[in-house]
Amino acid sequence: MRFLRYAARRFLFLIPQLFVVSVIVFFLVRLLPGDPAYLMAGQFATKDQIDQIRTTMGLDKPLYEQYALYVQHVLRGDFGMSWRSSHPVIDDIKQRFPATMELVLLTGCISVVLGIPIGVYTAVARKGVADRGLFIYGMLAGSIPDFWLGLILILIFFAFLGWLPGPIGQLDPSMEIPPRITGMIALDALLSGQWAVFQSAVAHLVLPVATLTLVYSTLIIKNTRTTVEEMLKSDFVEYGRALGLSSLTLLRYALRNALPPVVTVVGILFWFLLGAAVLVETVFAWGGLGQYAVESVVSSDYAPVQAFVLLAAVFTTVVFLLVDLAYFAIDPRIKT
Amino acid sequence: MTTQPLPDTRKQPAAPTQGRGQFGSFIAFSRGRPGFLFGLVIVAITIFLACFGAIVAPCDPEHAIPEAGLLPPSPVHLLGTDVVGMDIFSRVISAPRIDLTIALVSTLIAFVCGVFLGVISGYFASGRGIGRVGSETIMRGADIVQAFPIFIFALALVCFRGPSTANVISALAFLNIPYFLRVTRGAVFQVRERPFVEAARCAGNTERGIAFTHVMPNALGPALANISPSIGFAILLTAGLSFVGAGVPKPTPEWGSMISIGAPNMMTGQWWSALFPGLALGVTILGYALVGDGILEFMDPTRRR
Repeated sequence: MRFLRYAARRFLFLIPQLFVVSVIVFFLVRLLPGDPAYLMAGQFATKDQIDQIRTTMGLDKPLYEQYALYVQHVLRGDFGMSWRSSHPVIDDIKQRFPATMELVLLTGCISVVLGIPIGVYTAVARKGVADRGLFIYGMLAGSIPDFWLGLILILIFFAFLGWLPGPIGQLDPSMEIPPRITGMIALDALLSGQWAVFQSAVAHLVLPVATLTLVYSTLIIKNTRTTVEEMLKSDFVEYGRALGLSSLTLLRYALRNALPPVVTVVGILFWFLLGAAVLVETVFAWGGLGQYAVESVVSSDYAPVQAFVLLAAVFTTVVFLLVDLAYFAIDPRIKT
Repeated sequence: MTTQPLPDTRKQPAAPTQGRGQFGSFIAFSRGRPGFLFGLVIVAITIFLACFGAIVAPCDPEHAIPEAGLLPPSPVHLLGTDVVGMDIFSRVISAPRIDLTIALVSTLIAFVCGVFLGVISGYFASGRGIGRVGSETIMRGADIVQAFPIFIFALALVCFRGPSTANVISALAFLNIPYFLRVTRGAVFQVRERPFVEAARCAGNTERGIAFTHVMPNALGPALANISPSIGFAILLTAGLSFVGAGVPKPTPEWGSMISIGAPNMMTGQWWSALFPGLALGVTILGYALVGDGILEFMDPTRRR
């Protein structure tokens, strides 16, 4: 019951949060000097197209009406047109979104599945080679630029060793794209039983996912380690030890209590990964949302950039909300 | 009766074991910590290069010789040349000027604004009236800014305000304010419970006066420790923005844009034009992070390993 009350409150807060986010994004385009309609229409637009955009955006109306129009369009899924691709932005996004999600979800899962055990292990087996190694790895991972690491991995595994395919996107150009079920090429190939395509897709996935995991899993590892260490030093564990409980039982109790902060860190990981995806997709020519946003920024195609920023902010706000709900579900002691 | 002087009961001045002072204990602290020393050396080198890099460079960092393109490292070109023939070594050591300028200016702006806002939101967090409203507004504002993934927001800000150094600086400054804000706010929560604050209140100071004259100087510690890693992070963001083409414009030597110039050559095996700038980036950021860690440890002896 408490959970439902907490959830209801958080969901209620979501609306003003999204409202402010949308206001910020709305004002982004108006930061630029010049006529917003002309800027959104692009360099090759005809006068008619510019006029049409002017009416759609309601540029002759007062600012709050323009904002209302903007929100109406967004809720209908209309984010304007990309003059580069001549498609509605929403179509471009729908096509590229799964590719980015593939990278983010895979990296997230691998980081969690590998990172939590490693973090727990180094917390239990204190002072040792693992401890020093982890410290050094953490410092390095936090300093090395992710896009540079991607290039280094390409250099080693493609240019020198030839083990993995080069950064030409998600698939070999000779392979046919599998029928679109989820939009994630590897998954679609698996689901439609196209084994060769699946193998090629996985081969292309290895380097970008490895880049992201190497740099960002350290977040999970370090946080798990710190939290579990604290738990192991806590009063209730000491009491349990005095009672004679086995180390394994104590570990289970410690882990159960260490779970909430780790869940929060997983949410933060996704926040980092969204930003990192932009760079890594550019390096590997991945064809996802990140690369799309970068190309739009560089060619001054503003509608896609505005849509991308809005979606990224909405996505992270929702992820943080879910993480907070999970935290509360596990540990109801936090103040509501 | 002669009056004898009373025996001198003043204590002898303490033997100069304490005479080292602040600086001396800092030296002793650094001695056992090779990581911290390494970081300090890196910071010193980058500052030196920022001031004198372009002058000590053997070649003009923006002079392109197409015939000398993609030469591997040699005694003439210590780190090789990139695809248009610019000497990589000269460019690598000239890049700190712009990277460090952007990072330093944006971090200082973020520090000043963040600490100021942090003191307000921390000191007036409880209580009634306009202070509380202000504090809550500031925190919600910080939450909203942090809802956007930082690189994406930086990209958007630079996109919509136009690519220029000033815009990169303002975007980075704006995005780093929440970190200094939260860290200062946490420190203010602790400092304002101390007896001297209550004493100041009894002495008749206004709340605002207490907040800025008494609480703020004592709450600066964590924010100061955060400056160094923030500089490193700002350098990383600048490099990332330049890598995708939204930061420093191309011929200007900057580690991120150097990596983007050299990226296509990585795939054909000419590794030097993208490797060395990235190495410089990594080492620099590591150095600043280590310095930040060291300062944090120095200020808070309970953290010392």
